[in-house]
Amino acid sequence: MKQFLLIIGSRMLQLIIMVLVLSFITFLLMKITPGDPIRTMLNVEDMAATKADEERLMKEYKFDRPILEQYGEWVIGVLQLDLGESLISKRPVLDMILEKLPATLSLSIGGLVVLFIIAVPMGVLGAVYEGRWPDYLSRWTALTGASIPSFWLGIMLIYVFSVQLNLLPVMGKATLAHFILPSVTLGVAMAPLYIRLLRERLIATLQSSYIEAAKARGLGKKRILFSHALRGSLIPLVTMFGLSIGGLLGGVTVIEILFSWPGMGELIVNAVMSRDYPVIQGYILIIGFLVVVSNLVVDIMYVIINPQLYNGKESM
Amino acid sequence: MKTAVIRTSLSLGNVNLVLGLLLAVFITSVTLIGGSLVPHDPFQVDMGNRLQNSSSIHWLGTDQLGRDILARLVYGAKLTIGLGTVAIVVAILIGVPVGLISGYIGGKVDAILMRIVDGILSFPDFILAIAIAGILGPNLTNLLIAIVLVRWIVYARVVRGLVLTEKQKEYVLVSQTANSSSLKTIRMHILPQVIPDIIVMAAIDVGKVILLVSSFSYIGLGAQPPIPEWGAMLNDGRSYFQVKPLLMVYPGIAIMLTVLCFNLLGDGLKSHYDIRRGRGRI
Amino acid sequence: MSNSLLTVNNLTIESRSGEPLLKGINMEIGRGEMAALIGESGSGKSLTARAILGILPDEMKVNGQILYKGRDLLKLSENEHRLLLGKEIGIIFQDYRGSFTPYIKIGQQMIETIRTHQRISKKAAKEAALLVLRETGLESERVYNSYPFQLSGGQVQRAAISMTLALRPNMLICDEVTTALDLMNGEKVLKYIDKARRETDCAVMMITHDLAQAYKWSDRMHVMYQGAIVEDGPTEQIRFHHQHPYTRKLCSSLLSLPKERKASSAEGVYSI
Repeated sequence: MKQFLLIIGSRMLQLIIMVLVLSFITFLLMKITPGDPIRTMLNVEDMAATKADEERLMKEYKFDRPILEQYGEWVIGVLQLDLGESLISKRPVLDMILEKLPATLSLSIGGLVVLFIIAVPMGVLGAVYEGRWPDYLSRWTALTGASIPSFWLGIMLIYVFSVQLNLLPVMGKATLAHFILPSVTLGVAMAPLYIRLLRERLIATLQSSYIEAAKARGLGKKRILFSHALRGSLIPLVTMFGLSIGGLLGGVTVIEILFSWPGMGELIVNAVMSRDYPVIQGYILIIGFLVVVSNLVVDIMYVIINPQLYNGKESM
Repeated sequence: MKTAVIRTSLSLGNVNLVLGLLLAVFITSVTLIGGSLVPHDPFQVDMGNRLQNSSSIHWLGTDQLGRDILARLVYGAKLTIGLGTVAIVVAILIGVPVGLISGYIGGKVDAILMRIVDGILSFPDFILAIAIAGILGPNLTNLLIAIVLVRWIVYARVVRGLVLTEKQKEYVLVSQTANSSSLKTIRMHILPQVIPDIIVMAAIDVGKVILLVSSFSYIGLGAQPPIPEWGAMLNDGRSYFQVKPLLMVYPGIAIMLTVLCFNLLGDGLKSHYDIRRGRGRI
Repeated sequence: MSNSLLTVNNLTIESRSGEPLLKGINMEIGRGEMAALIGESGSGKSLTARAILGILPDEMKVNGQILYKGRDLLKLSENEHRLLLGKEIGIIFQDYRGSFTPYIKIGQQMIETIRTHQRISKKAAKEAALLVLRETGLESERVYNSYPFQLSGGQVQRAAISMTLALRPNMLICDEVTTALDLMNGEKVLKYIDKARRETDCAVMMITHDLAQAYKWSDRMHVMYQGAIVEDGPTEQIRFHHQHPYTRKLCSSLLSLPKERKASSAEGVYSI
């Protein structure tokens, strides 16, 4: 129990540091950039913008105050779950993000499923046949896969499966079939890293003395591989996975744009295009939160997979 | 047994290194020679020659505005590879000294610095780049600034870790007690150990930057038309996909081959260095 | 010898680069015999054991004959060979931490092993496992429900031995089983193995670098040096009438032998 509290505590600290540092950097950047949000708003409101209007808005949004004060107010707002409102749509940022979040998360999960379907067999092949042709196949697949731009892969998949074969729908997220192409694209794009990682870990595990002992007990090859070796290799995989949740959330952005997936990617790209700063800020905050929460989940899974950590007896 | 394992990785590592070099030669010669054999202006619009197929004049045909695709690809190659290299070199020039100093001095400053760095690093770099590029304004220069801002931290982190390991080793301790200056210890003993890892990382990173830049250009946050950056070309060609799919195929293959080249070089060099240092495994 | 259980004829092993690791081993172990295989590290003792078990790395070339109950182990298919392991030939390792997979409870691993070789229900397997654990003097229920790291070294080693003996093998290979244990626990373990040997008439191949141990427990000794057996015979004979210069050196340095460390260390197995 103490273990868990410690994990949660250190993750909270990470969240706080990350969000404070990042939001401060973005705040600073906003201040020194030429594109003035007030002008953005005035353009949107499409009226004969006068000097007076500008000043009124400056006051209203407190843009005339010192930066630290503005920043402080933003932080206080965040603590009250108020991320401000969009300069364009005037809607609360939190609402805008939360309504796009499910679509992004569901696509991410779809991508993860595909990722595992690809990475586990390829990684295992590479490790079991180390130095032979399946290993070469696995390594070159990983290398090539890591070299293909995900959005281009998506375009090619669309061309083959939707345009030529007319098998799968492309845009939107109406049915389960709509999930297939974006998930596959995302999963394939993410897989190479895990193929290599799993292969390396599994090779190390297969040479460990407990695997030799399992062989000496006459256990079958499959049994040794799947219930003994793979489990040992999953631990670093889980860690790695936790570290790349962020990569997943980043990678999903491009895929969303490509497939017109109504998720957060669309939201942030539009916000960037129109310099909608509160939305950008809120987006960073939410992503940071998601990253930390998923790291927390990974920490806990880690303890469950590796019972050695229960009583803190982390040998060697 | 150990020798056998090393041999396997040696051969595959070398194969990858050789493949990477071959690809590099290929890309370089296409970029240098291909452009001058069939000289076209990559920006020259020619509405009378839209969406042409391959011919002796336009080897890879023309795009929706009648511009020569090969000329644009070649221009894109120079641009993309150049930008990727510059971004990573700058990141290294900032990150490596910071990492060396932070790791060498250690102590509280180091601890606090690394805590902050970890906080930033656990944030997805793609999204950080979106945010920074977004705030500064979506164009190629700002994207590169964003990349450098994120990547130098990675180098600092890795170098610091390596320095900490090296510092434990005997010869560094000896050198330290032998009263040579800190700067000299770093230069003579630590830096040479760190360089191979930096080179491997850099090779792979240039590939990553190329992917990132093309992704950004594709979603409209990077290179803007009419710049023939490969991702931007793919974005341009989207509407003509049905009419002329090859318009979407060429830039993608260009990206893939270039990134593959850097990945092969990185992978090959890593095996090469690992074996030389007796680390055995791939 | 008519009661020969294991006969090794001219066994050679080469590494992939052609380096000879074992140079023609000949050895015979009778039923119920306690045979010691003694030599310094790197002399090929463990390699011999692994050749018998067929768990050498793929890239090593093995030649010769290993007859077990008249069947040549080297000619068996992988699957046939595998089914002998555990059931007919058991091994106990020096690195007791590596005897069990660290992420799986000991009981589960015992059941798994028993059920690989015997078609019995889970419940019956559990009973068998608990029984052998109790025989070694362990708190059977607790050990059964523990992960390896939750037990002390001596306990894990005894659990490993009881798991190995649970299937009543006809031959037991003990690879430096006492090296990683303190003196007291080491003696206990050997005593238990000897008792089991007498009760089940199981032959024991004791791999050790500890001459005193070999003298005390073995019936027959095989002295290995640089990949070859340089001398063998009844323990008494070797002890008092050894011929080979290496044996002489070994015997005279009885008290000054350095502690042997296993070359293929289990480093990194537990690291995360």
